[in-house]
Amino acid sequence: MSFDVPDDRGYMESHEWASDEGGTARVGISDFAQDELGDIVFVEFPDEGAEIAHDEQLGVVESIKAVSDLYSPVSGTVTATNDELLDAPELLNDDPYGEGWLVEVDLADESGLDELLSADEYRDQIE
Amino acid sequence: MSDTGRGSPFAPHTDAETTAMLDAIGVENQEALFDIPEDVRFDGEFGIAPRSEREIRREIQLHLDRDDDLTAFLGRGHYDHYVPSMVDHLADRSEFLSSYTQYQPEVAQGFLQALFEYQSMLVELTGLEIANCSMYDGASALGEAATLALRARSVDGTRVLIPELLADGRRAVLENYLAGTDATIERYPMADGNADREALADTLADDCAMVYAENPTVRGTIEEGLSEIGELADEHGALFCLGTDGVALSLLEKPANVGADVVVGDAALGLGASGGLGLGLFTTHEDFLRQVPGRLVGVGEDSDENRAYTLTLQTREQHIRRERATSNICTNQAWVALRAAMHAAWLGADGLVGLAEDCVTNARDLADRLDDIDGVEAPAHDRHHFREFTVRTDRSAADMREELEDEGFAVHAIDDHLLQFCVTETNAGQIDELAAAVEVVA
Amino acid sequence: MRYDQATWTREDGDENADTYEPLLAEKRSTEVAVDESPLPDDLTRESVALPDPSEPELARHYTRLSQMNYGVESGPFPLGSCTMKYNPKFTEDVAALPGAGTHPARSAASTQGTLELRHHLQTYLARIGGMHSVTLQPPAGAAGEFTGILVAKAYHEEHGNDRNEIIVPESAHGTNFASAALAGYEVVSLPSAEDGRVDVDALEAAVSDDTAALMLTNPNTLGLFERDIEEIAEIVHGAGGLLYYDGANLNALLGRVRPGDMGFDVMHYNVHKTFATPHGGGGPGAGPVGVVEELAPYLPSPQIEERDGEYERVEPEHTIGKVHGFAGNWLVLLKTYAYIARLGDSGLTDTSAKAVLNANYLASQIDYEIPFSPFHHEFVASADRDAADVAKRMLDYGVHPPTTKWPEIVDEALMTEPTEAETQAALDQLARAFNNAADDSDEALETAPERTAAGRIDQADAARNPRLSWQALDN
Ligand SMILES: Cc1ncc(COP(=O)(O)O)c(C=O)c1O
Repeated sequence: MSFDVPDDRGYMESHEWASDEGGTARVGISDFAQDELGDIVFVEFPDEGAEIAHDEQLGVVESIKAVSDLYSPVSGTVTATNDELLDAPELLNDDPYGEGWLVEVDLADESGLDELLSADEYRDQIE
Repeated sequence: MSDTGRGSPFAPHTDAETTAMLDAIGVENQEALFDIPEDVRFDGEFGIAPRSEREIRREIQLHLDRDDDLTAFLGRGHYDHYVPSMVDHLADRSEFLSSYTQYQPEVAQGFLQALFEYQSMLVELTGLEIANCSMYDGASALGEAATLALRARSVDGTRVLIPELLADGRRAVLENYLAGTDATIERYPMADGNADREALADTLADDCAMVYAENPTVRGTIEEGLSEIGELADEHGALFCLGTDGVALSLLEKPANVGADVVVGDAALGLGASGGLGLGLFTTHEDFLRQVPGRLVGVGEDSDENRAYTLTLQTREQHIRRERATSNICTNQAWVALRAAMHAAWLGADGLVGLAEDCVTNARDLADRLDDIDGVEAPAHDRHHFREFTVRTDRSAADMREELEDEGFAVHAIDDHLLQFCVTETNAGQIDELAAAVEVVA
Repeated sequence: MRYDQATWTREDGDENADTYEPLLAEKRSTEVAVDESPLPDDLTRESVALPDPSEPELARHYTRLSQMNYGVESGPFPLGSCTMKYNPKFTEDVAALPGAGTHPARSAASTQGTLELRHHLQTYLARIGGMHSVTLQPPAGAAGEFTGILVAKAYHEEHGNDRNEIIVPESAHGTNFASAALAGYEVVSLPSAEDGRVDVDALEAAVSDDTAALMLTNPNTLGLFERDIEEIAEIVHGAGGLLYYDGANLNALLGRVRPGDMGFDVMHYNVHKTFATPHGGGGPGAGPVGVVEELAPYLPSPQIEERDGEYERVEPEHTIGKVHGFAGNWLVLLKTYAYIARLGDSGLTDTSAKAVLNANYLASQIDYEIPFSPFHHEFVASADRDAADVAKRMLDYGVHPPTTKWPEIVDEALMTEPTEAETQAALDQLARAFNNAADDSDEALETAPERTAAGRIDQADAARNPRLSWQALDN
C-alpha cells in the first residue's frame, strides 16, 4: 500500500505534518496516520491563543478502537483551529492534507520547520 | 450423568472422546498438556467433597434456616421493594443471563436494546442527558463521580464535600476511590437531618471539586433546598453530585432542575433484599460525555441501514485507554440493569409514582404510630421523609434493637438514642406488629 | 430475512420497518402528572413519562429481545480470557432459595447461617488459591485488582516504604493498568520476551525501590505458563515488591498449581469465569481477594471470622476500609459456593484438565498459525487477515467468535478459550467455523455477518454522533 506524502511540507516521526504558510504553519496528520488509526471519530486540539511547543502534546485523535496523542511539529501560538472537525472528524480520514488540517500556528521561530523530516525522509520511515 | 462423579459434571467428555482428542493432539495423556515445573505443582487436596445438587440445595437451605426469621425494617441504601415474577422469568432466559458483554453487537441486539432502554429511562427520571449502563453500586458510583469531578473540573481544586450524615459504606468506598489522588474529603454539617446550607455556603469555595448531597438523605429526610446547593456549587465551579435512587427519582425534584451535574445511587429496582447485590446508577450531563466511566450503549445503523445498537465511545474504557481510562470497571451489573428496566416498565409511570408516594405515606403512618408510644419520638427530624426515618429513644437504642430482634424485627440502631426504620410495600403489612413490639421494648 | 435464531421477521413482515422490535417508548408511553402527592409541590417533580406496556406485551418484548441475543446455551462461546462456560441451573435456584438474600445490615447474631456460608466460601477459596485469608467484598475482577493493590499500598505504607510504581506486562488486561492507576500508581509496562513470557532480564531491570508490585496472570494471556515464576517472584520480592495474581486464568490451573505456592502474595478470583456464575450480559460478577498471612491485617472490613462456633464480623487491624457499599455481590457468591461444592476436589481438577484438553484439541483442528505454545486453557491464533472480519464471518457459521485483536503481541489475534464445557462435536463445529472463515473470500468477510439479527454495525457513525437514549433519537 502506498501513502500520499506531499513534498511541500515537513513531517514528524510521530506522523504529524506542518506546512509553511509564511510566518504561520498549518498542522495536521499524515495519510499514513489516518490509515493506521482507521475511522476517526473524535479529535481534540488546543483553543485559539494556546501556546504550543515542538514535540509536546498537541491533542488527541480517537478512532473506534484506538486513542492517539498528537505531538506538535512546531512551537508558537495557535491562531486558528479547524472547528469543522468537531462535527466531521471523518475529514481527517478523507482529506488529511487539506480539509482535515488541525490548527494554524503563529511560529515562534520559523527555522523550526527546517528541523522536520522531509517528505523523502518520512517516506523512508513509513515504508 | 453421574451425580457425584469422579470428574466435573459440567465437562461432558466420555473416556472414548478424551482418548480420541488426545490422539488428535498427539499426546499420551491430559497431564502431558501442562507445561508446569514440578516445583510449583500442588499435590495436596482441598478437602472439598463433591456433593449432589440435591445435597447442596439442602445444605444451603439448612444454613439459611439458621438465620433468624425476622421482618426487616432496614434500609440505609439497600431497599427491599417487591419485584414482580415476570422479571425473574424473563431475565432468567439464558440468552440474557448467560451472555457476555456485547462485544459482538450483531448477536447481542437484544441485550443492547434493553440496556439502551434502561439508559433512556434514567435520562427521563434525572433530566440529565447521559446514563451509563451500570456501576457496581451507589457507593462506587459516588467514587466514580468524584474522580470524574477531579478530571473534568478545569480549576484545580481537590476538596470533595460530603454530608456529615452518610452511609458508612458510601463514605468508606469514596475514600478508597480517592486514595490515589490528592483530593481531600470534608464533611459539611447537617441541620435537623438535612444539609446545613448556611454552613455549606461558608465552606464551599473555589478549591472544591465536588459537592455531594443526597435526596432522600441516609436518614430518609427529603432535602428542601437542593437548588440552592446547585447554585452554590455552580458559583464556585464545583460539580454538584446528587445521590438518590430509582424510586425516589420518580417523585422528588428532578435532579436536572436543581442543578445536579451527576446523579448516582443504588437503583432500588429490579432486585429485592439481596444481601447487598445492587445496581449503581450513574447519569450526567452531555458536557462530561467523554469523562463518563463504564459502558454506554448507543444507536447506529447496520449494513441494511436499519437501526442497530452497539457499545460506543469505548475509547474511554480500560481495554483501550488502559491506565488513562476514565475508570477500571469492566464487568458491571448489566443483568441487574436489565431487571431494573423490566421492573420500571412493568410499573409504568403511574405505578412508579404510586410506589414512591407510598414510600412517603407508609413512613409517615409508621412514624405517627410510633410517636404515640411513650419513650420514643418519631420522626426524630422535623422533615418530610421517604421510606425511612429515625426515632429518638429514651432507652439505649442498641438495647432496644436487640430486644426488637427477640420480638422478630430487624431495625437499625444508628446512635446511642436513635433507631432507624424503613418501610416499603414488603413490610408495610406488619407495622401494627412492629408498633406493638416497640411498645414492649420502649 | 435475517437470523435463524428467531422465527419472526421484521415487525409484521414489513420490509420497510427499520427495527425488529420497537423500543418500549415507541409502543406505549404515559406521562403522569405528579400533582396530588403527599408532599408539598415544591419538593416534587412535575411529571414522569415512562413506557407503560401491559405485562403480556412486556413478556413478548423481552422474549423477542432475548431471541436476538447469543448466550452460552445458544452455542459455542470461545471468548478468550472470559471463560464462557456453562452456568449450571441449580445454582440459580440456590440463589433464589427463601432467605438467600437478607438485608446486609442484619445483625451477625441473627444471620449466623449466612455468615457461616460466607465463611465456608472464604475457606474454600483460600484453599483453592493457597492463600491465608479471603475477602468476598469486591464486586468484579477489576474491583478485586483495585482492592488487592490498595492492600499492597497499605502494607507498604505501614512498613514505611515509599513505593510509587506497579509493573504490568504489556500483554496484560486493560483493567490491570487502570486499577493500578486508580490506586494512584505509576504504571510501568513490561515488554514480553520472544517466547511470549515475562522477559526476566527486563523485569530485573525494571524493579527498584519504587516497585510496589508486579501484576501477573498465569497462564498469561497467550495461555503460556510463566515457567520462570519462582525466579520472577524472587526478583520482585528481592526488590521489596509484592506479587499480584490476576485470577482471570485460574481455570487452567485448578487443583494443579496454587497462586500461593507460586509465590503470589495477593490475588483475585474471578468467580464469573472460573466458578461458572453467569456473566449476565456484562455482570454482575464477583472478585474475591485472597492474601498471604502478612497481608491479612489490611483486608477490607468486615471479615467473617469464626470464634467458638460463632461467626462474627471483624475489622482487620490495618484495614483498607471498604470497596463495596455493602457486603459485595452476595447472591453471585452464593452461586460460587454451590458450584465449588458440586465439583469438589475431583471436579475442580478435572475442570482444568478438560479446559486445557479442549483448547489443545480445538487448536489441532484449525488451519491457523498459533505463534506461541505450549498453551493451556486458551490459545491465540493469528487470523492473517482482519481478525474482526474473521470474527464477523464466524457468526454466520452459528458460533460466537473468539476475542479479537488482543493480546497485540500476536498479529490479528484470535484469542480462543473453548472451556471444559464443550463436547468434541461442538469443538469440531467451532473448528469448521474457523476454517470456513479462513477459506472465505475477502468480500464474504467484509460483508459478514449476513445471518444475524443485525448486519454489520457502523461503529464510526455511532461514535461520531452519539445517541445514547431514545430522547436523543430524531424520530
Ligand atoms: C485477564 C483479565 N484480567 C482481568 C479482568 C477483569 O475482570 P472483570 O471483568 O471481572 O472486572 C478480565 C476480564 O475481562 C480478564 O480477562
